Amino acid sequence: MKKSVFTNPTLPYLLLFPQMAIIAVFFLWPAAEAIWSSFFILDPFFGNATFVGFENYTDAVTRSDYQRTAIFTFWFTFFVAFLSLAIGLMLAVSADRVLRGKSAYKTLLMWVYAIAPPVAGLIGIMLFDQHIGPLVKFAAFFGWELQVGVSYFDTAFAMTTVATWKQIPYNFIFFLSGLQSIPSSVKEAAAIDCRSEMRRFWTITFPLLAPTSFFLLILNITYAFFETFGVIDLMVKGEPGNNPVTLVYKVFQDGFRGLDVGGSAAQSVILMICVLALTVVQFRLIERRVHYG
Amino acid sequence: MFRKTLLAAAGAAFVAGSASAQTEITWWHAMGGALGEAVNEIAKRFNESQSDYVITPVYKGNYEETLTATIAAFRAGEQPNIVQVFEAGAATLMGADGAVVPVEDLLKANDVPFDINDYISGVRYFYADDSGKMVGMPFNSSTPILYYNVEALEQAGVTPPKTWEEFAEVTAPALKEAGYVPAAQSHLPWIFTENFFSRHNLQFATENNGYGEGTPEILINNDAIKAHFTAVKDWVDAGLFGYYGAGWSDNQAPFENQEVAMWMGSSASFGGLKQSADFDFSATYLPYWEAVTSEPTNTFIGGAALWALTGHESDEEKATAEFFNFLSSPEMQFFWHQETGYVPITTAAYDLAKSEGWYEETPQAEIGIQQLSLPGGDWTKGYRLGFYVQIRDVMNREYGRIMAGEATVDEAFEVIERESNQLLERFAKTSG
Amino acid sequence: MTTQEIDLSTAADRTATAEKPRRSTFGRVRYYDHAVLLFGVFLMMAPLFVAFMTSTYQPEVIHRHGMQVGWGGNFQETYWTVLTKKGGFSEEVTGLLMTQNSLILGLGFAIGKIVVSMLAAYAIVYFRFPLATFCFWVIFSTLLLPLEVRILPSYEVVQSLGMLNTYTGLILPLIASATGTFFFRQFFKSVPDELVEAARIDGAGPVQFFWDILVPLSRTMMAAIFIIMFVVGWNQYLWPTLMTTEETLYTLVRGIRQVMQTYIGSNIPDYNEALAMAVLAMLPPALVIIIFQRMFIKGLVEQEK
Repeated sequence: MKKSVFTNPTLPYLLLFPQMAIIAVFFLWPAAEAIWSSFFILDPFFGNATFVGFENYTDAVTRSDYQRTAIFTFWFTFFVAFLSLAIGLMLAVSADRVLRGKSAYKTLLMWVYAIAPPVAGLIGIMLFDQHIGPLVKFAAFFGWELQVGVSYFDTAFAMTTVATWKQIPYNFIFFLSGLQSIPSSVKEAAAIDCRSEMRRFWTITFPLLAPTSFFLLILNITYAFFETFGVIDLMVKGEPGNNPVTLVYKVFQDGFRGLDVGGSAAQSVILMICVLALTVVQFRLIERRVHYG
Repeated sequence: MFRKTLLAAAGAAFVAGSASAQTEITWWHAMGGALGEAVNEIAKRFNESQSDYVITPVYKGNYEETLTATIAAFRAGEQPNIVQVFEAGAATLMGADGAVVPVEDLLKANDVPFDINDYISGVRYFYADDSGKMVGMPFNSSTPILYYNVEALEQAGVTPPKTWEEFAEVTAPALKEAGYVPAAQSHLPWIFTENFFSRHNLQFATENNGYGEGTPEILINNDAIKAHFTAVKDWVDAGLFGYYGAGWSDNQAPFENQEVAMWMGSSASFGGLKQSADFDFSATYLPYWEAVTSEPTNTFIGGAALWALTGHESDEEKATAEFFNFLSSPEMQFFWHQETGYVPITTAAYDLAKSEGWYEETPQAEIGIQQLSLPGGDWTKGYRLGFYVQIRDVMNREYGRIMAGEATVDEAFEVIERESNQLLERFAKTSG
Repeated sequence: MTTQEIDLSTAADRTATAEKPRRSTFGRVRYYDHAVLLFGVFLMMAPLFVAFMTSTYQPEVIHRHGMQVGWGGNFQETYWTVLTKKGGFSEEVTGLLMTQNSLILGLGFAIGKIVVSMLAAYAIVYFRFPLATFCFWVIFSTLLLPLEVRILPSYEVVQSLGMLNTYTGLILPLIASATGTFFFRQFFKSVPDELVEAARIDGAGPVQFFWDILVPLSRTMMAAIFIIMFVVGWNQYLWPTLMTTEETLYTLVRGIRQVMQTYIGSNIPDYNEALAMAVLAMLPPALVIIIFQRMFIKGLVEQEK
């Protein structure tokens, strides 16, 4: 807390009013409504509600496709986060070391950050198109018959690839600035102590990057969970069929496509609980960092 | 920006003011691209044909988006006069008591002549209620038919198969020999499920295929359709059938590229195919299993109907009725049929198309309507099932699993049956 | 790995960068690094290049032969069509209008977020008042639930307020998440206390302090967060997809979905137009982050703290 603070009976409330009003109307109210409607089955036209207790929840979690969706979301999140972090780090380490063309590399590697997920999805689905996709032809060259849209695994592979591609620049930027903020004295000392480039990275540089990595991990999980909606939506081309989708897509699919308001709300609440858990971890981390800072 | 909006609003008000003698109605539809242009043309012609009413068509995205937008507007009290809702959403709309003015009531109340027998048989009762009253006005109606590459079949020395037995024993091996993937289809729930039931006159759901009062149960776990899917899966494995996923165009594209020799799609695909296929193609009826029936019946329609929503003034309802009247006129139906490939919905329009020589020019365009006009049976009127969008999603998913070898036919159909009935039960609770 | 030639060939570089003696000892790894980076650049940029090149072809060509790496020569025509072709019965919807809507969303979101969150952060950091803790926790709670998990009820709320198909309804719910507030809270906390003291001694009130000292101090921060938020706003997809059913409110990103509908449909999809729209949708945010690279990176990385 600040040592010097103002006291004024009305001003702080006035300052907070816009934020609080927006939160109340567009956050608290919808959140409350989600929780409320998750206990009902609703007629979409007139909003007539039949109370069903926890039925929406039990229906959701016992449905085989929900379980499949949850499992896919987990692995999708895992691979997207892991791969984009790993590739982002690899590129950042190299970009930190080169002397020539550094800013050109940086600019070119950053570009994709600006692309909206559905745009990535559109380009992805065309690259992976069963009939005209160059990547499918490329895979066929190695004897892999990619069937995006038919095979669950192949579609999952394509989605993971596109979602990872979209996220690499983000991690690259963070890692690069993390590396650049390591004092050169540390780097020089390390270079004397340890000739092996590889060992030096794992024993000295990587631990120094650990806080950044952990923070990034949380951000990447959030990305894979929520922001990949556009990628998924474009890549299933409007017909989920036997394609993998994420939990967020499922909320959308049941709520907007299928008009099952209550069922969709229950799934929202389940997601809320997941995010809550994630945020507790994140908050602890922030607190620790602030403490160190 | 805000000033601009204000100006635009003022401008709109001015236009509206100057035309206040006319009754304005809006029509939300889901027809994009070339279809949307045909819709605009219909509206334009209606507006030019008389001076009392003005209709404005508004494109609202795909079928699902249009329905969702309608519901939102309905709850805000800003619903359009007419909305286009597809067959899978019909139950949702009709399940909401008092959201829709049945078209038959609307026309009769506004002194527009109406006789349900003017409509061709395959279309007549699809959007009707249990008592046979027409509720939704059939609009874009199509039916699945079999297209084939003329040259490919000649090369293989076969004719298009009438039955699936013929396909399996004669047509498919010959086409494979000639270097083609013999066949593909674009919509498993529609073509190989719903229309499988109607083509073989099998009951699809209890409660009179869902038209009745009670909560229906789906009768999909049936030996005939399971045998069909077992056969299809075997064909796929043997290279006698192509499955390219749940996407429509993914399955159509290889036919256009002449990799696949026969393709089952919509009768309304005709216009698009003419544009994209640079080879000679023709069309015929959907095959049937001789083992299941010796008297194949008509297929169902797919597509959408126009629904008059409640909550509008009587002069607007009058305008809506007049528009429906205009739309079902033989001339407009023929126009729509010619432009889009959707079937004409009245016999008068069908006769007009015939007398204009349209089918001499393009005999393929007649297959759809002929197939719809085949003799019917007890179970070929249609079906009405709630949450049907999700049920189709379940089917698509499970069929995909069969094709990918992730589930057996028995397992998949058991899941479809169980989850569909669960959804139907949930749907029954939405109407309290 | 330890080839003499490589060491020798980098000798010139070594002298040129004498100020970093330690690094240049390992100069030979630079070949590896350049290879990695070039591969990375290829990985990141090739799809965009192919997408752009393909967009210059006729749709029939793309339909039959797939994506292209050559120049199709249809550039002007396609892009002109996308930007100016009028759609809908009202014939008002063009790519230009969508670009305008995207701009309104990007700018409205960024500016709205900065204003709202700066005010709130100022109140939280610099004032002592009874409900401070409560307000802090309420604001914090918004970080728990991204818009995606409450889309359906948010949609219903916006609908019952009659805000569907309005810019207000489009932008405000997106602002509800208080990431910006935390960002500014953190920044204000790092502002030396002596400044407030000095301002007080000079007799400046809270409003004056905010306007004359805090706002000028935060200028870089504001610019950085503006760039990030502009990109985030411009790229919004799910919410505009649900919210805007009037074509005249479509953003570019939302418009892509519309073009995709024909991809699903039975006619030859306008691949070229879809890709052209994708290229148009990515250009402004890409240019913004490239031009203001330094500021953008600073803003992005600062969020972490």
